[in-house]
Amino acid sequence: MEWKIPSLEELEHYVWRCTACGTCRVAYDFGPPPFYAPICPAGEEFGFEGNMSSKGKIAFARGILDGTLSFEDPAFLEAIYKCTVCGGCQTQCQLDHKPFIPEIIEGMRRKAVEQGYGPLPPHKNLVQSLKSYDNPYQGPRRMRTDWMRPFKKAGRPIKDINKEPAETLFYVGCTGAFNKQAQGVPVATASIFQKLGIDFGCLGQNEVCCGSTAMRVGDAEAFKRVATQNLETFRKLKEEKGVKRIVTSCAGCYRAIKKDYALASDYEEIMDGLEVIHTADFLHRLWKEGKLTFKGELDMKVTYHDPCHTGRHLNKFRVDTEGEELWPGAYLDVSEEECLYDQPRELLKAIPGVELVEMARIRGNSYCCGGGGGVMTGFGDWAAKNAGLRIAEGMSTGAQHMVSICPFCHYNLNAGAKLIGSEMKLYDLTELLDQVL
Amino acid sequence: MGTATAKKTDPVLAALVDIVGEGNATDALHIRYAYSYDLSFVEPKLPDYVVMASTVEQIQEILKLANREKIPVVPYTAGTNIGGLTIPERGGILLDLKRMNKIIEIDTQDLVAIIEPGVSHAQLAAELAKHNLRFGWPVGPPSASVSSCAISHGIGGMNARYGLQSQEITSMEVVLPTGELVRVGSCAIQPKAWHSTLPLPKLDGLFKGWLGTTGIVTKLAVNVHPAPPILKIFTVSCDTVEDMVSYMFNLSNYEICDDLTAVSWWLSQVPIPYPYRPKPDDAPEWNSYATTYSWTDKEREAREEIWQKVVEEEQARGSSVKVTHYPEEALRGRTQLPSQVVGSTKNYCKMAGAGISWPGTFTPAKKWAPVYTRWKKILIEHNLSPAVRMSMYRGVHYGMLRAMIPFNKQSKEETENARRAIIECLKIDLDEGGIPYKPPVDFAREINARAHPGYLMLLKRVKAMLDPNDIMNPGKLGI
Repeated sequence: MEWKIPSLEELEHYVWRCTACGTCRVAYDFGPPPFYAPICPAGEEFGFEGNMSSKGKIAFARGILDGTLSFEDPAFLEAIYKCTVCGGCQTQCQLDHKPFIPEIIEGMRRKAVEQGYGPLPPHKNLVQSLKSYDNPYQGPRRMRTDWMRPFKKAGRPIKDINKEPAETLFYVGCTGAFNKQAQGVPVATASIFQKLGIDFGCLGQNEVCCGSTAMRVGDAEAFKRVATQNLETFRKLKEEKGVKRIVTSCAGCYRAIKKDYALASDYEEIMDGLEVIHTADFLHRLWKEGKLTFKGELDMKVTYHDPCHTGRHLNKFRVDTEGEELWPGAYLDVSEEECLYDQPRELLKAIPGVELVEMARIRGNSYCCGGGGGVMTGFGDWAAKNAGLRIAEGMSTGAQHMVSICPFCHYNLNAGAKLIGSEMKLYDLTELLDQVL
Repeated sequence: MGTATAKKTDPVLAALVDIVGEGNATDALHIRYAYSYDLSFVEPKLPDYVVMASTVEQIQEILKLANREKIPVVPYTAGTNIGGLTIPERGGILLDLKRMNKIIEIDTQDLVAIIEPGVSHAQLAAELAKHNLRFGWPVGPPSASVSSCAISHGIGGMNARYGLQSQEITSMEVVLPTGELVRVGSCAIQPKAWHSTLPLPKLDGLFKGWLGTTGIVTKLAVNVHPAPPILKIFTVSCDTVEDMVSYMFNLSNYEICDDLTAVSWWLSQVPIPYPYRPKPDDAPEWNSYATTYSWTDKEREAREEIWQKVVEEEQARGSSVKVTHYPEEALRGRTQLPSQVVGSTKNYCKMAGAGISWPGTFTPAKKWAPVYTRWKKILIEHNLSPAVRMSMYRGVHYGMLRAMIPFNKQSKEETENARRAIIECLKIDLDEGGIPYKPPVDFAREINARAHPGYLMLLKRVKAMLDPNDIMNPGKLGI
C-alpha cells in the first residue's frame, strides 16, 4: 500500500502563501454584533509570535526551509511541538495555504522525526508503545477488553467480530479502552447499541491503534504501519464478516480513519461499501429515523464542547488544483458539511429535561481543550491548564456540566476542571444518552 | 526557549529575565526569527532578544536597562504594518506588547475608550458594540493593534467624518526611552480625566507619527462614537480618474459621508490580479463607495437626496459617473470592518503570495489624477496592477492616495521589482506634495531628501531630547 503523506518541501509553495498578516491569531466575526476571542492555546500560553497560531508556525517552517532553523537546537525542536494542531487558526485564515496549515505543522514534525531528532522523549515512549503493544498507553493487549467485563457478567457479552459476523464494527479506540477515566465512553456506547438492538461487534484484543497519535507527532512510519494493518483488517471484515459500517466514539480515531487513511493508495477501494461514522452521528441518524426514543429524563443544564477532530478538522476544502477556476493551488472554498456540529447539539436538546447553553467559542471557533497534537503527552501541565480555561468558559454559561464526543477531550477537560477546582464534570454524549434510553 | 543556559552567559538576557520573568525573555533564534520579517519588501533582520512585558513598570525597567547599555528597543504589538516598521534595523530588544491588552475603561458619557497597546481592533469592536459605540476601523487585520495604528496616523472607516485615527487620540501615557513615565493630554493634569488633548500644548505630537522612535505608549485614550442604526452605501463608477476625482470633490463638500473612497478596477478585485492583467474593456476603471450612517429614515433620505444631486450635477457636466453595483465581496471587505477579507490580505495578496507593500500617502486631491496616471504607467511597466485607492479626508480636498502592491515574496526578483516600482511611485507623489505615512526606511530617505533643513534640524533635536542614546527603534526615521 502506498501512502501520499507530503513532506515539508512538498508544501513549501503553501508556506510562501502566508503573508504573516496575523488574522489567524484571534477568532473574529463581523456579526453584527462583532465576535472576538482568543483562539490559539499555544499563543495564550507562550505568547511569542513564533508560538502563536499559524503565523508563528509558518515562520518556523520558513526558517527550516531557508536553513536558518535546525532541530539540533532542542528549544526549537520543543517549540514545534508546542501546538495542539487544533486548527483554530486555520478557521480564520483566508489565503491559499489555509487548507494545508495542519499539514505544514505536522510536516515540520515529520521532518524532525526523519532527521532523527523528533518526536519529544514522551512522544517516543508513546510511539514505542505503539510498536510494542499496538496502543500508545503501554497497556498489554489483553487489557483492551477490560471495559467489556460488565457486559459479560451481565450475560450480554460484546460480540467478537473476529469470530462472528456483524453489520457494524464498533472501533473502540485506545483512549476509551485503556484510559480508565474515559472507559465510560465505550461502556455507554455498547450499552446503547445493545438497547437499540444493533448488530455490532468489536475486534477486542486484536484491535490496533488507529495511529492518530503517531501521525500527530510526526512519526509517519509508525502511523503507516498501524494504518495499513487497520485498512487490511477493514477489508477482511467487509469481505468475510459482512461489515458495512465502522462506528467509533473516538474523535481522534474518526478523524484518522476519515482523513488520514484517505492518503493511502487503496483507501477508496477498501472503503467502498464501508461507512465510517462517529457514534454521535450514527445515533443522531437513528433518532431522526425514529429508531431512538427516550424513556427517561435528565434534569441537567449542560454546555457542549466541540472537539477539534469532529469539528473543523473535518472541513472539506475546495482547492483549484489544476488552476481551472483561479490559479493552480488556489483555495476556493470550505464546506462544514462533514463537521459534527449540529448532531450532538440536536441530540442533547432532544433529551427530556436537558437544557443546552452555549459557550462563546463554538463550532468552527471552538477553543481546543489543549490536549491534541501530542500536547497532553508532551506538556501535560499546559494541557490541563488550557483545559481549565475551557472549563471556566463553560462555567460562565451557568451550565452544571460539559458534554463532548471525544474521550481525549473528556480526559483532559476533567483534568482541567480538577486543576481549577471546578465541580463541572465532563460527560460523553453517549453517557447521557445511555441513561435515558 | 534557551533562556536558562543563555542567562548564565549573557548579562543582558539575565537582566531582562529578572525584569519580566522566565519564559518572557529569550534570545532563542527561532523566536527571534519570527519577528525578523513582515508582509513588506523590507529585508529581514533579527532582533537580539525578544521580551514580553505585561506591566508599565516592566517597560520602564527594560528601557532603563536599554538606555544604560545603549541597546536598541523595537516596540511591537502585532507587526501587521506593511512598511517594516518593527523589523529591527540594528538588532536589540524586540519588546512585544501583546500581553498588555486590557480595555481599561469605556466611558460612555465622555465617549472615550482607554486601552493598552495590545488591544486589537477585533477586541475593541466587540466591546464597543455592547455599548452601541464604534470607532474608525481600518482595512487591516482584526488582530492588529488599535494603539499602534492610531499613533502611526492610520486611517479608518470614519476618515471622512473624524479624520485620522491619530486625531481621535485624547490622552496618552508614555514611557520615554530613558524609562521615565509621562502623560500627555487631560490625564496629565487629572489622572482620571482622559477626554482631550486640548487646550493644553499638544505634546501628543511627540509620540504620533514617530514610528515608535520616541517612546512606548502604554495607555491610550481615543474618542469613540455612537453607532447610528441605518447604513446606506452609495456606489458609483467612472471611466476615468478625472471623473471620479470630480465626483469626490463635489460629494465631499456636503460632509455627509463617514468614508468616501474610490478604488481602481484592480483594487476592486478580490484579490488584486498578479501579475498585471488589463481590465476588461467594458469594466469601469473606477468604483467608489460612500458610507453614510443615519439615525432616522428621513435623515437617510436627506443624505440620499444630496448624493443624487451630486451624481446628476456630475452627469450634467458630461462625467461618465454612473450609479452602479460595487463588487460584492470587495464592498463587504471595505465596509464591514474590522474584516477578515481585508484583514487576511485575501483581497491583496491571495494571488501573488506572501508580499504586500505600498506607496501609502496623504496627497492633495487635485493631484490624485495626475499622480495616478503616472503610477499606472510605472506599475504596468513593472507588470504590477495599478491597484490604487483614493479616500477623501474630513471635508477637505486632501486625503489618502495609495497603491496596494502585492508580490510573490518567495522570489527575490519579484520582491525587488515591486520595491523598485513602489519607490518610483513614491518619488512622484512626494514631488507633487504628497506625504507617505507609516513609511519604510526607503521612504524616509526620500522624504528627508526633500525636507526643509529646519524641519530636519527640529526632528533631530526633538529625537535627541527624548532619546539621548538613540535606542528607540533606531534608523527608522532615516536621520
